[in-house]
Amino acid sequence: MNLEALAACLTSASCAVTQISTALIVGTLLFLVAAGLSLIFGVLGVINFAHGSFYMLGAYFAFTAYKLTGSFIVALVAGSLGAGIFGVLFERLIISRVYGRDLLMQLLVCYALTLILDDGVKLVYGAEYRMMGMPAAFAVAPVQIAGAFVPGYYLFMVGIAVATGLLLWLAINRTLLGKTIRALAINPQMVGVLGVNTAALYAGVFGVGSLLAGMAGALAAPIRTLTPGIGFSFLIESFIVTVIGGMGSIAGAFLAALLIGFIRAFGAIGFPWFVEGLMFAIMALVLVVKPTGLLGREAA
Amino acid sequence: MSKTRTTLSRRKFMGTAVAGTAAAITGFPHIAGAQARVIRVGMPTILSGRVAMLGNSNRASAQIAVKAFNEAGGVNGRTIELIDRDSQGKPDVAAKVTRDLINNDGCEIIIDGEASSGAFAVQEVIRDLPVLCVHTCSETSALSADPKLFVKTAFRCARQGIHDAVAGGTYAAKVAKEKGLKRWMTCSPDYAYGRDNTAEFLEFTKRFEPSVEVVDQVWPKLFAPDYTESITKILQVKPQAIYSALWGGDVVAFIEQASLYNLFGSSTFFSSSIGDPPVLTAIRQIPEGLLTAYRYSRQYPENAGNTAFADAFNKVAHFDPTNWGWQTYVAMGFLVEALKRTNGDTDGKKLAAEIAGMRLQTPLGIDGTITMRESDHTIIGYPVAWSHTVPKAPFLAGFEPVAWENILSHEAEWKKSKGYV
Amino acid sequence: MRSRLRRDIVVGLILFFVLFFLPTLFPKPALRDFLIYVIAYGLLAMSLNLLIGLTGLVAFGHAAFFASGAYTFALLMQSGRTSIPLAMLAAIVGTTVLALVIGAICVRLKNIYFSFITLAFQMFLHSVILTWVSMTGGDQGLQGGIPRPVFFGIDLNNARTLYSFCVVTFVLCLAIMRQVSESPFGYTLRMIRDNPERANFLGVNVVRMKLGVFVLSGAMASVGGIVLALFVSGAYPEFGFWTTSGEAIFMLMLGGTQLFLGPLAGALLLEALNHYITIYTEYHGMVLGVVILVIVLGLRRGIADSLFAYVTRRRRGRRIDDVKRPILQPTKNEPA
Repeated sequence: MNLEALAACLTSASCAVTQISTALIVGTLLFLVAAGLSLIFGVLGVINFAHGSFYMLGAYFAFTAYKLTGSFIVALVAGSLGAGIFGVLFERLIISRVYGRDLLMQLLVCYALTLILDDGVKLVYGAEYRMMGMPAAFAVAPVQIAGAFVPGYYLFMVGIAVATGLLLWLAINRTLLGKTIRALAINPQMVGVLGVNTAALYAGVFGVGSLLAGMAGALAAPIRTLTPGIGFSFLIESFIVTVIGGMGSIAGAFLAALLIGFIRAFGAIGFPWFVEGLMFAIMALVLVVKPTGLLGREAA
Repeated sequence: MSKTRTTLSRRKFMGTAVAGTAAAITGFPHIAGAQARVIRVGMPTILSGRVAMLGNSNRASAQIAVKAFNEAGGVNGRTIELIDRDSQGKPDVAAKVTRDLINNDGCEIIIDGEASSGAFAVQEVIRDLPVLCVHTCSETSALSADPKLFVKTAFRCARQGIHDAVAGGTYAAKVAKEKGLKRWMTCSPDYAYGRDNTAEFLEFTKRFEPSVEVVDQVWPKLFAPDYTESITKILQVKPQAIYSALWGGDVVAFIEQASLYNLFGSSTFFSSSIGDPPVLTAIRQIPEGLLTAYRYSRQYPENAGNTAFADAFNKVAHFDPTNWGWQTYVAMGFLVEALKRTNGDTDGKKLAAEIAGMRLQTPLGIDGTITMRESDHTIIGYPVAWSHTVPKAPFLAGFEPVAWENILSHEAEWKKSKGYV
Repeated sequence: MRSRLRRDIVVGLILFFVLFFLPTLFPKPALRDFLIYVIAYGLLAMSLNLLIGLTGLVAFGHAAFFASGAYTFALLMQSGRTSIPLAMLAAIVGTTVLALVIGAICVRLKNIYFSFITLAFQMFLHSVILTWVSMTGGDQGLQGGIPRPVFFGIDLNNARTLYSFCVVTFVLCLAIMRQVSESPFGYTLRMIRDNPERANFLGVNVVRMKLGVFVLSGAMASVGGIVLALFVSGAYPEFGFWTTSGEAIFMLMLGGTQLFLGPLAGALLLEALNHYITIYTEYHGMVLGVVILVIVLGLRRGIADSLFAYVTRRRRGRRIDDVKRPILQPTKNEPA
């Protein structure tokens, strides 16, 4: 353990700013994935173990779109929408058949989808590692903040993620549609009786959740290596975030994702060997003290 | 959904399932008699998951070699059939698959395409079932250096840690002296290979250039998607030089992310693995002047045979050979030569007697040969060289070989210090 | 009750003799290899079913105990100071203590929260195995082999003897689990599964009962780990990774949770599937995924459960209601 280094870093402006920016970079991308997971659970009551696959799909779709058009905006849209559409299809064709069945059945179909998509990507793209490359617009010198350097692309990435999160929160908490969705989460029969097409709403919510994961994948594509199965490592971390933040809570997911980001950024300096263990320990602790998570509402 | 259809498909499905189970219980197919006309060569390797691509490159190399062998009419009327099987990178599965290949599928020879921990497991299987086995991927020196692990019919046709460490240390010390690089940092994956490789590299670098000082080390997780926290940590420390044992997709991501922070502008970067061709082609904008150990290159050794191999490989795999790829190709070379000498006899002991000490003619050796050392069943005289990156394909230039006499003398000393001899 | 006991003893004996003498009939080593894997993972799946099928506790982190058994046993044997039975006993006791500590924290949580906290503990243990390199060998696993010294004249270095030893151990564990699930304790657990409030009203200490079965199930899982460690002569961190727990759950669903031997059928099926699919294709994930979808969407329950329902239906000559009952109350109602 190297607490002196940690203390030294916290007192130095440039080090602190660099590590805080690191925390934001790690945290916001994680937030996008976890927010989708949380949203799907909150409304549909489904634990989407296949969520990592949508991250992977987003990244690969963006990769292809960028290769074809050379436009990063197109790539970002293609990655997000592509994953979203896949999500809607998955919900309609498969997940909707296991609503109301026990948890393990839902788990299994998600696991099956993960296996199929991982191999599907391998069939289409091959097992080689791929890199989309940094769009020319972002190939600029890092921005200097208080003596610390932050790459321009990361500022963009964090901005997009935060804006998306905010939009999502507003949509759910401040619009009529959001109100309907919240009602759907609590009493689907009643919402159905009121003439709302609940099946479409379920599909839509699942689609939006997948879209968020896909967006994270597309945002990560310029800086992370693509291989079949990249969603896998993301899955457990986004579960940690969702559990700590509270299943179903967008704000909770944001808080928890940042917490993980800070643990990783400052843990790398102070206690690198315990970062991994600490995340699971916090997850267990939260479950013991407040099972519904930091900002989760009590089970109905 | 109609009722009848469900029942039918259900029945059909159960029939298949029951039949499958029955087959599993009452005996497995693929039983071949000993010394059948076709020589079955089994290859356990990693064909799924994150490193599937490396397993694919083993397979491509083996296929090229087998095809050439069979088209030339084989030996004594015997041709080779290659049976590859996925171990998913799990050591216990690797052992199980190897046993199955030998016991069930009638494989008389094993070309082991497993990474280190899998190779150790396969080695134990070969101890029990002594067919000829050539490991083509494990770089852990102990596999061949530790006499406790020695198996009479097992060989390693792969580069190994201690050789690379001496070579890397020699080269790094030279560069450190020229450029005055004193403050070093390392950034390697946190698992056995990453830790051992880094420790050995540093040991020899410091021995050859005592002014080198390691000020800090970061250990990102293997297959981590993001290295930002490691990169910013390095930025805080501001080392003059960085050594990294990250490989494959990991080093690709690291280079891209570190470029964003302009890390390579301020520190000299030494890498164990950027020299693998698929890494070089995956990185979109490769910074100039990164220093890397040799993995494989179509330009080095510079001869027509090597280029022909790279072209043939690329035709099958659609990418240039990896380090695993050339090693498997040379292993097949040893095997074919040994079969010629035994006139197609696949007895493990007889083949082993031929391969031990064999000096194989191959365009992939630096002097046109690679030798399987008799004493510890491992290859020497293979390419070890450092080069630097350039922005245009094939992305590497300035290969600087390291003298093998030098490597061998330090290896002997190292073996003594470990109590292996 | 009597006749049931008699029936179970007969089934147990048949199972024992079939397993014991199959390799004599078909003396291929590969069959033994295959069956030992089925035994090891079968124990994991069956012990997990004590929690899932019997008590309704969906544990996601059961492989933690599998790994703990394997590592404790392997480390003790490598120390060279214990005999095999002693090391086995110590590994089981050690895992029991671990399960007691983890269980005491976990069983207070309900539903999905219980699932998640078991997952958290498993991943914590996995990260300890990876980090504590000097003890566990980290990602490389415990290497150098596990010695198999002769005890009571039994030499496990002989593959046939090793196999027979595993079969005896396996059947013993099955007998214990069968006794527990048919005991008053077992029926109390069923009541807790079906109606915890009622059990509470009747004066049952629900938490203590749950803890009891959690510990027992952990101990049984550790035997599976021991068998595997003994067989592969090593222990690897994958034993304790969440995918191993996932595989056990998959076996359970494949076989079914309602019948006592269902999970074993699942283990047999999954191992057979894995074995054959990897022979024919490297895209085994895709094939396996399709198989799962067919079972879940087509059969709508495990294969053994389907068979059972089918047989029951025929015997009664009329359609009876599903024997199936949701393991976890679905969190939400079915959409319109």
